[in-house]
Amino acid sequence: MDLQGGEGESPTVIVGIGEYCVGNGVMSCIGLGSCIGLILHSSDRQVGSLAHVMLPAINPGKQERPGKYADTAVPLLLKEMIAKGCRRSSIVVKIAGGASMFKNFAGTLNIGERNVEAIREVCTGLNLSIVGDDTGGVVGRTIFYYPKQQGKIVVRRGDGTIVEI
Amino acid sequence: MPITASQADALRELGNIGAAHAATTLSTMLMSNIEMDVPEISLVDISRIHEYVGDDLAALVLFQVMGEVTSGGYLLLYIPKRSIVRLTNVMLGMTDPDRDLTEMDHSALLEIGNIMVSAFLDGTAGLLNIVMLPSPPSLVIDMPHAAIETILAAQEHSDINEVVIFRTELKSDEHAISSSIFLLPNEPMLNEILSMLETLISPGS
Repeated sequence: MDLQGGEGESPTVIVGIGEYCVGNGVMSCIGLGSCIGLILHSSDRQVGSLAHVMLPAINPGKQERPGKYADTAVPLLLKEMIAKGCRRSSIVVKIAGGASMFKNFAGTLNIGERNVEAIREVCTGLNLSIVGDDTGGVVGRTIFYYPKQQGKIVVRRGDGTIVEI
Repeated sequence: MPITASQADALRELGNIGAAHAATTLSTMLMSNIEMDVPEISLVDISRIHEYVGDDLAALVLFQVMGEVTSGGYLLLYIPKRSIVRLTNVMLGMTDPDRDLTEMDHSALLEIGNIMVSAFLDGTAGLLNIVMLPSPPSLVIDMPHAAIETILAAQEHSDINEVVIFRTELKSDEHAISSSIFLLPNEPMLNEILSMLETLISPGS
């Protein structure tokens, strides 16, 4: 399976922790652990956005790095998509990541689960439906998102399995 | 948290001493020469961590640093996939390079991690004249970036945007084994270590 774009055009954009990207080129998050790869995809424009969300909620008073927090990333991507001319009703959400990788440090490191819950809550509040979901478990994930292929997302998991959402 | 050139030098020296201790123990375990490179110290924005650690499978033995410093910093022994079986084969007296990993390998990895990280901390703590101890270890065999971002996200009270990554590579050419020790101090720990180092090198102390 070709994981690297393969359309011979713009190179894959790697979205680092706390960053986001909007467009129709191939986008990727490398090695998601407790973080979430949050994708908003518009089915009729073949345009989408990807944020690498690290934490459930932004600290009050902060404004920098809106892509880093679940509660700011979802509305941010939605706004950016609408600004690109996407109909709100055509926008769907897919998520991957939110793993709990460390058994021994479970108490402090179950941040993955809390990230997933936070994203779900914000999406419900904004009336966005989550149509693809590969979250939880104990494995890391690398994702490739292809806006021009009906929003296909290829997830390669740390245990070697590959799934599409 | 900007770091000056002289602070980076002092940290590099501290890391050198720790890594040399770890290299000696690895050398004893493998009965082989260990080559050690000069420690790299980088202040990295969280969005660029993937340029330092990727998603190629590796074994990571993870420890929290405890003792007479603010806890919350982490030490990691990183062993890339191809080196895992070579390392445990030498430790367990086995030879098949293509076998699947078992519980025995996991125990061996935890053990080598414990020994090397304890030696690293002994070396650094000795120089600083304090006690530093590793927590019980946690082992993951997965994508290094995923593990490290999970550690950083769990320090949520500090909601960091950048991190100091300290890395030394230790290699055995004889067994074709490569490993690295990563130190990820949190900001309070880094500041404490820097001020201890400053006291050490300031004249009249």
